[in-house]
Amino acid sequence: MIFWVWVFGLIYAGLLVFASLKSYKKNRSSEEFMMAGSNIGLTLGVLTFAAALFSTFTFLGMPDFFRINGVAAWIFLAVSDGAMVFLLLWFGYHIRMKVKGMEFRGVAGLISRCYENRLAGYVFFLSSFLFLIPYVGIQIQGIAIFMDAAFPGSLPAWGWSAGIVLIMLIYSEIGGLKAIIFSDAIQGLLLLAVIWIIGWACLSHFGGIGAMFDKIGNVQEDLLSSPGPQGLLTPQFLFASLIAILMIPVTQPQFTTRIVVMKSMKTMQLMAVSLGAFAILVILPTIFIGMYGADLYSEYGRDEFFANAFLYDQPNAVAALAIIGLIAAGLSTTNAQIFALGSELRGLLRGNENSIMTKTKIGIFVFSLIAFFFSIIVIDQLVLLARVSFAGTGIMGPMIILGILSNRKVSSAIIYLSLAGLLIFLLSLGGFIPDMYFGIRLDLILFISLGIAAVISHLTGTKPRLIRPETDEKN
Amino acid sequence: MEKKRLYWKISCAAAIILSMITFTPLVIPQGVSTPELAGVPYSLWTSFIITVLLVILTYIGTRVHPGMQNEEEDL
Repeated sequence: MIFWVWVFGLIYAGLLVFASLKSYKKNRSSEEFMMAGSNIGLTLGVLTFAAALFSTFTFLGMPDFFRINGVAAWIFLAVSDGAMVFLLLWFGYHIRMKVKGMEFRGVAGLISRCYENRLAGYVFFLSSFLFLIPYVGIQIQGIAIFMDAAFPGSLPAWGWSAGIVLIMLIYSEIGGLKAIIFSDAIQGLLLLAVIWIIGWACLSHFGGIGAMFDKIGNVQEDLLSSPGPQGLLTPQFLFASLIAILMIPVTQPQFTTRIVVMKSMKTMQLMAVSLGAFAILVILPTIFIGMYGADLYSEYGRDEFFANAFLYDQPNAVAALAIIGLIAAGLSTTNAQIFALGSELRGLLRGNENSIMTKTKIGIFVFSLIAFFFSIIVIDQLVLLARVSFAGTGIMGPMIILGILSNRKVSSAIIYLSLAGLLIFLLSLGGFIPDMYFGIRLDLILFISLGIAAVISHLTGTKPRLIRPETDEKN
Repeated sequence: MEKKRLYWKISCAAAIILSMITFTPLVIPQGVSTPELAGVPYSLWTSFIITVLLVILTYIGTRVHPGMQNEEEDL
């Protein structure tokens, strides 16, 4: 296997270097570095959005989620993604119209301008920071676990994590967002190819789809229906997850940025359709891998399942491809998230552009360092942590949608309510307050309450608002 | 333009209805995996069809979105 890891690894590394160098320009502006010149075409747009969305969470997390919770996991992610791409059409149109004619410097900067209140930007940045960093950390950890299984004893887990963070920093520093987008394209295709190769191998183990579910019905019948053996996938959990995932393009800055930097409205809309098709294609084989795990490794822990299904049960070349595919999946998402946090920080900074860029790059380095430490200490199920991340940032959804859509002067109350919602959610995550009230999940209560507050704010807002041009903000 | 607006509203309504029925017993009857379709459990094949329909609706949305008339502005 080592031979194949070297072969595929060198090809992959070569492509990354090529992507970085192709994107490198000596005297590039900060706009080119942070926003890729806002000129991304359809193919690159689909692949970068997909690579940022489908990460270690999909590659490892979803097979594990299907293995433990059964077929209703499809609703958790695929149906939610289907609805999300439709929302992308609607939201993408509005945010692009909003930023038309002004320099887009991240959602935090935009939302501060919309509310004419910098607190809105800070609250948004806080939620992004709090919920993206642990998510990045657990993805880095996922790769490190996998590498440790592939090369036991060669490096400690933190060594693999450090290596991943270093690669991420180097190529984003050389090429900026454009390099990340190019490498996303490579990584998106690689992820799709690898997940299908392994998925197909797992399906072949059963001899077909009907035979697969027949066998699983005999092994653990609960896996074939909702709520699954653990009782997790209830209608309420799935509905709250739908709202959290719907809010991804609105509240996770790496996606909002990608919507804005698409070349045209039409390209952005076609990207949404293609992304929906990509989602179906990439999630489908994770069912096969999950069912394979349920059949052969139902009693095993997460790490043993990954090691067996992706490495030991596969031919050497496929196992090597799985390693490279996983690195690709993890790197693209973590890189997109860390870079987006840097971009959001830039939107909040004031002063000379050179000094802003220096602070932004230092910010990206610091965020990477914090994510690295998280990758060492966080222990959780990939999918559940991802869901917490989606829900945590999703709390900001009503505030952002109101700020972008409303053409009235609205009260700042929604900013304080969103901050309160964030704190309440954090308290429940910390176990200080319950996460269910009257049989309803707290995240669902927060989504609904903030949504109602946003509607009331809009209806009670009266005066038409003028957004101050970006140039006013700089001074 | 008016027709486009109407079709867009219909698409939005269809997307919302499709998403909502996913969480009813129509798609996820608790603990029930039949009737199967080609061996695929009930909730999986129904929700798969809903996912495909949502993507098709998204495509229709790109054709009828009233904002597409303004696309020249940022080309």
